[in-house]
Amino acid sequence: MIVDQKKYAFYALITLAFLALTLQLANLQIFERRKYLRHSQRNRIRSIIVQPKRGTIFDRNGVVLVENMPSYSVSAIPYESAKDDSLFYHIAGILRQDVHEIQNKIQSARGPFTPIKLARDVEFSALIRIEEQKLDFPGILFDVEPKRHYPAGVRAPHLFGYIGEISQSELRIKGNDGLQKGDIIGKKGLEKIYDRTLRGKAGYAYHEVDALGRVVRDLDIGEESHPVSGNDLYLALDGKLQKQAEEMFDQKNGGVVLLDVRNGGVLVDCSKPDYDPFIFSGTLEMDAWRELINDPDKPLYDRMIQSTFPPGSTFKLVLATAALQNKAVNLTEKTVCNGYVRLGNRIFNCWKKDGHGAVDFMEAIKRSCNVYFYRLMPRVGVDAWAAYAQDFGFGKVTGIDLANESSGNQPNREYLDQIYGKNGWSTGMLYNMAIGQGDVLVTPLQMAQLAMIIANKGRYYQPHVLDRTYNAESKRTIPFQPVGKSTELVSEEAYDVIRKAMLSVVNEEGGTGRASWLRDVLVAGKTGTAQNPHGESHAWFIGFAPFDKPQVAVCVFVENGGGGGAVAAPLAGEMLKAYFRQKDTLTAAL
Amino acid sequence: MLKDIRRNRVDVVIIVCVLIFAASSLLAVFSATFATESVIWNSTFSRQVLWIIMGLFIGAIITFIPPAWIASSAYKLYIILIILLFLTYFMGSGVGSRRWLSILGLNIQVSEFMKPVLVVVLARFLAKDYRTPDRPDVLFAVSMLVFLPFILVLQQPDLGTSLVYLVVLLPVFYWRGLSPFVIFVLCSPMITFFASFNFWTFFIVILLISAILYLSRRGRVFFTVVFLFNIAIGIIAPIAWNSLHVYQKQRILTFLGLSSDPQGVGYQIIQSKVAIGSGGLFGKGVLQGTQTQLRFLPAQHTDFIFSVIAEELGFIGAILLLAVFMIFLVRGIYIASTTKDQFTGLLTIGLVTVFAFQIVVNIGMTVGIMPVTGIPLPFISYGGSSMLTCMIMAGLIANTSLHRYKLY
Repeated sequence: MIVDQKKYAFYALITLAFLALTLQLANLQIFERRKYLRHSQRNRIRSIIVQPKRGTIFDRNGVVLVENMPSYSVSAIPYESAKDDSLFYHIAGILRQDVHEIQNKIQSARGPFTPIKLARDVEFSALIRIEEQKLDFPGILFDVEPKRHYPAGVRAPHLFGYIGEISQSELRIKGNDGLQKGDIIGKKGLEKIYDRTLRGKAGYAYHEVDALGRVVRDLDIGEESHPVSGNDLYLALDGKLQKQAEEMFDQKNGGVVLLDVRNGGVLVDCSKPDYDPFIFSGTLEMDAWRELINDPDKPLYDRMIQSTFPPGSTFKLVLATAALQNKAVNLTEKTVCNGYVRLGNRIFNCWKKDGHGAVDFMEAIKRSCNVYFYRLMPRVGVDAWAAYAQDFGFGKVTGIDLANESSGNQPNREYLDQIYGKNGWSTGMLYNMAIGQGDVLVTPLQMAQLAMIIANKGRYYQPHVLDRTYNAESKRTIPFQPVGKSTELVSEEAYDVIRKAMLSVVNEEGGTGRASWLRDVLVAGKTGTAQNPHGESHAWFIGFAPFDKPQVAVCVFVENGGGGGAVAAPLAGEMLKAYFRQKDTLTAAL
Repeated sequence: MLKDIRRNRVDVVIIVCVLIFAASSLLAVFSATFATESVIWNSTFSRQVLWIIMGLFIGAIITFIPPAWIASSAYKLYIILIILLFLTYFMGSGVGSRRWLSILGLNIQVSEFMKPVLVVVLARFLAKDYRTPDRPDVLFAVSMLVFLPFILVLQQPDLGTSLVYLVVLLPVFYWRGLSPFVIFVLCSPMITFFASFNFWTFFIVILLISAILYLSRRGRVFFTVVFLFNIAIGIIAPIAWNSLHVYQKQRILTFLGLSSDPQGVGYQIIQSKVAIGSGGLFGKGVLQGTQTQLRFLPAQHTDFIFSVIAEELGFIGAILLLAVFMIFLVRGIYIASTTKDQFTGLLTIGLVTVFAFQIVVNIGMTVGIMPVTGIPLPFISYGGSSMLTCMIMAGLIANTSLHRYKLY
């Protein structure tokens, strides 16, 4: 009977233990079932953001300028990879990163099963090493991300700009509502300006994942949304010409703007020195970045729209127009140029030391006589001169679809009073400004715009890089609507005279812009040589062609390049020649 | 006597239970490894089939061995396994621990086979009539028999298996006739152990133990020895605790709710509970368990195999398996109580204890009421050593059932 007693003690113990197990099972599987069922569904279904395809950027002829190429990024699932510290050292070595950085990244993950990006744009060789040792790298994944590349060989970094991971401050900007950490947005240039057009809309997919976060299969639960690809941009830019311009200005500081005068489209906007936009498409090396921002030549700046310079003699066109319109000048009246003008005890030189002799209005423009314009300035007066300059768009931005455009500086009486005091400024200052020196500062784009205005006799368009956007899904093209403008103060007759004078600059004996002369096309233009305290003069040339039915306006600027006629004019001629030759081949091909 | 001779045959209940376990194991392992191995006839599954067939064969052989042979080979086997455990210590393999010993190209977990051998040794030792359990020298000798493999396995480290050895002691003593008071005395170090981490709880527990000892009137020497032993435990325990591996501490702390560890052990328990809970009353169906098939379950074909069954077959399936386990254990106790022989009685009760402890601790772990100790579920979990050991132990129980009315 003692054995029986002991037997029952065992029975009791086992019954008790099994009862506990059964109760807990019932608790989990019957009473708390809903909670755990929800849990298990959340466990295995993960919503994944499907990044949209960013739009491609084409030139006006459909040549691909900027498009996506695959790059590889490496991520880690913290739960899996955090088990073994030695793994971090390994991965850090392969990715050439700091171990602590990687550990920090993993610690900042949202959850143990959410992959966290360790490195973007990983080299293919590193990828292979990770793939080879896959078993030693639990929880390490890689995926494909688009990055930008530039297949046409057109750099135009100031135009295209670049893309990058959204920053904290950018996340707070309105219009970026749908974005989240880690998303890629346009940071500069067209990528930034037209970011929302290019970007597209992210979609959501639902994946069934296993415990390692690996996708087992796509789920079709009816709640997913497909990503909407970004729109493509077709630029007014001519890739071939742009490339040619970039080659022309290689090793120079400066650039060229070529505008289509019929709609304001920017055919060429080349600013040198520049940088290869491709270096921004992956992970930017700190050294490369430092080099860029510390470069004294400032390659990050678009000289054509962001930097201002004294325009030199090209600006005489403003005073000439003002004088014509105000009847302050008699076309036949001649002024003798001895090479200088004395004002009080100061001497104002003509660029030609021996003087031009007796010159009339047309001659003065053709040969760019400073003395003539010194004398003209007081007759027009600062107020009229400033008013015309403003009418031509100086002192304000052109409104081009690029960021950080500079408005330059257009002095008027108010400005002079303010800077120098009511009686602090002199006629001497006006002399300087008459020939585009002194306080006058312009952007090359503004000068190209002036050429466009004169070419069109007052009608002009807000310069724009974009020509049209294209939606691949709806197959719809939305053309850019150019903003038409016109000058208010200048009559057609005055334009005729100025145009004729500009024609003579290029086409007549003694003209300063002879170097831009073309055999088949009548080019009109004006040179400028802007003295500056920082060294050699800046060389300018603005012009348009063909004379009778203008198509393009050009502005060439070479920083510290020397004389406008000798340095800028030939470059402009080359640019125009390239434009018309290409046009001929195009029309021939059509 | 006639009646007894008629009953003298292999217990059918035990055989049927084992066959049901084998079938459940095949189903569960197949499902648990289905996603990983993708081929229907995967290697893990086929190995398990092999272990089961081998196990049934070995179990059948053991069933028919004369109990005297078993008793007589007990010490030899014990010594051999102790040597093998030493060898495991020096040349064993394993992830983060040394549990497996490679013999003739087979990786063997010696500590598993130690379970039946230890029980046989204990039964053999205590079966002698003069070795009554109230004799201190007997207690000491038996404790040493247990402590040697316990220490060897604990340092592998394999806390779960070493606890199994320890746990066998008391039921076997009790079955041999040890009074509940002595069991209390033997248990007191364990209580002291847990109390020793705080001076005041330690103090109170020692006071209580002293009071009970005093009231029992067992003499000054007895009092002093037990008292000092408890004091010693109280001093050594914190030191021993600190020598535990981090993950072992973590497991214990997590179970006790003293540490939040969402990614480690706590994660395993959560995933297991999610699997079981989401299975509901009827389960998600074989191969339909999302937690299992997507491998959210940790060690799902070994330690957490019960979660697979509970997820895919639901409460009904889980309870049915529990019921078969219960029948198996109760039948084992019944067999132990009916045998006329001291040795086989002790042997069977020891084996039932091993099974019961492993079943309760393993399933308790998967449902979240026991700590994660790494103890496999008998007969069900994947693993050759574990499966063969279970079959050997079942064979020993069947052996007892076959010979229980025979005096030899």
